[in-house]
Amino acid sequence: MLAALLLPSLLAAGAEAPADAVKLNEPRVQFRANEASATRSPWIDANGWRLLRDSGRKFVYHVKGEAAALAAAEAFTYGAEAFISADAPGADAFTRMLEFLKNLPATDLAPAADFGVVDDGSDANGELLNLLTRMNLLYRVEKNPDRSFRVNVRLGTKEYPPDEAQNPSELAHKIRSQIGDDQRLLRLYGSEVVIGRLLAGPHRARVFLLNYSARPVLGLRVRVRGAYPKGELRAFLVPDAQVADWTQDGTATEFTIPEFRAFAIIDLSRD
Amino acid sequence: MDRRFFLQLAAAPVLLGSEEIPSYKVVSAFKAANASSMPGPYRGVVTRVHSESVINTVTERVDQPAVDKMLSAGIKSLTGAKADREAWASFFSPGDIVGIKVNCSGAPLICATPEIVSGIVRNLLSVGVKPSNIYIYERFLGQLKSVHYERVVPEGVQIVAVETPQGSLLGYDPKTYVDVSFFGEDDTRSNLARLVTERFTKIINVPNAKEHQASGVTGCLKNLAYGDFSNVARSHMREKTNTLSFIGTLAAVEPLRSKCVLNIMDGLRAVWHGGPFAEDKKYRFYPKQMMFGTDPVAIDRLLLDLIEEKRKAEGAPSLWDRSTDKIDRRAHLDFHKNTFIREPGHIEYAAKNCGLGEYDKTRIKVTSVEL
Repeated sequence: MLAALLLPSLLAAGAEAPADAVKLNEPRVQFRANEASATRSPWIDANGWRLLRDSGRKFVYHVKGEAAALAAAEAFTYGAEAFISADAPGADAFTRMLEFLKNLPATDLAPAADFGVVDDGSDANGELLNLLTRMNLLYRVEKNPDRSFRVNVRLGTKEYPPDEAQNPSELAHKIRSQIGDDQRLLRLYGSEVVIGRLLAGPHRARVFLLNYSARPVLGLRVRVRGAYPKGELRAFLVPDAQVADWTQDGTATEFTIPEFRAFAIIDLSRD
Repeated sequence: MDRRFFLQLAAAPVLLGSEEIPSYKVVSAFKAANASSMPGPYRGVVTRVHSESVINTVTERVDQPAVDKMLSAGIKSLTGAKADREAWASFFSPGDIVGIKVNCSGAPLICATPEIVSGIVRNLLSVGVKPSNIYIYERFLGQLKSVHYERVVPEGVQIVAVETPQGSLLGYDPKTYVDVSFFGEDDTRSNLARLVTERFTKIINVPNAKEHQASGVTGCLKNLAYGDFSNVARSHMREKTNTLSFIGTLAAVEPLRSKCVLNIMDGLRAVWHGGPFAEDKKYRFYPKQMMFGTDPVAIDRLLLDLIEEKRKAEGAPSLWDRSTDKIDRRAHLDFHKNTFIREPGHIEYAAKNCGLGEYDKTRIKVTSVEL
């Protein structure tokens, strides 16, 4: 039985989101060329970590213009119940995205993760989750360590002492090295402004790609662990999109997305 | 085509100084073509041609006949051929598809001189290469277009950029790359241009003679490495640059290594500080020379001396100066400062760890031709 798709809702003018809805930031990218930083990467305002942390709650975005489309795609990607308050151009953008989302096949795949994070609800833990999301490290938010994971992160323990949480960027890189890039379920190459999510089952997988910049991403290379001979691309505002340069090396499948704008999904199949 | 992929895992590197060498994974399905693979048939051999009249340093006008004579003298001296056609035919056949890797990063003040590129194209045509099979190429379109090579080459010659628009990966081969993490960046791959893997059968490398704020100098090796791969600027951060090992590692990737059969260094103009972009004209000078060879290391070894001597004459710190108190982000405007700790040792690294040529000056045979 395939699960129904959870689609975001547009708030009518003057309407209010439910009072208990969690307010989210406008999804976007900020280029900070003149600021010293740990990396050259642009800053992405992404809400994935909050959607995962507060899974099951309701969310609200207040956005303008094309950001409404991205907000809708972001909420959809994380399976969240979201309300979007937008201006008139934003409402148009939302409607276009909603049409795209409605036409996607339903799926019963489960979120895939490389490791677990035991969330104590603290700001430090939130900032860590934020960085992990931006670094495309796939985690599951847990109440207790999940032994099925090789790596479980719990701040304040001997392995992740409190002082390390003072520098979430270094801590995120430590976690990345503990997982090992070659072992990661999902890798993206060719863009610093795309965040991915992966759902997987025994025979199929679905990759979500969110482009936080206003420009199309050309030639994004995607690597998914596992052998998938087939894949079907659906890209928002790119009719008849096809993946390219499909390869498998025994442990992983790779392909190129020639062009995508705010959002794309790729359904992979072993059959 | 079903291609078997394999990894070209670098042997344990010869460490230079106290540098920690990143862990590189080279992925390529291409095997070396032994005869032409760099350093090619003329390891440790360089012909240097000088012409006092080739450029007017006041008007910047380049004398095409003088350039043609330099090209003729250089290629004949390198190959030992008696005639131009014979010399060029020793590298190129009518069926070849030839990429001319120019350098336009300092345009318009310094770039692969159009008169030199024009002369190279004429010589390729003379051995039967079709105009449509000659490509003048660079990574970025904006830099390339600013030079207007189309004004000096016959119709049909292709002028193309790898990364169009800038940031697109579509012009790069997803199956041929170097994977390395320098500073924890998430995108750890640098992919080789599709033009190199899929189109060209041969490459002529035409670098400029420039100081470089990160790598010390930018010559044959760097023009090939950073000019043919994606995602290379990530090798620098704050004062640190990984050009020491990255340049040679990239230049040695097949099929780039085998397809680059000839290096012609354009030293009509040169830059002794502020490279590669060379925004300030006062840091240019005019060696009025060209260097010819198949060995990129040997030519770059001579380039090191050329730039170092000029800097010394101008009172600038040595390229080898590693003091951090001179690091300044606006160093391209002040020759006492530098943006990064330079890595001129990348040339020796390319020789010793990648086998790309001869670094020992006592073993480099230089033939000087004065016109």
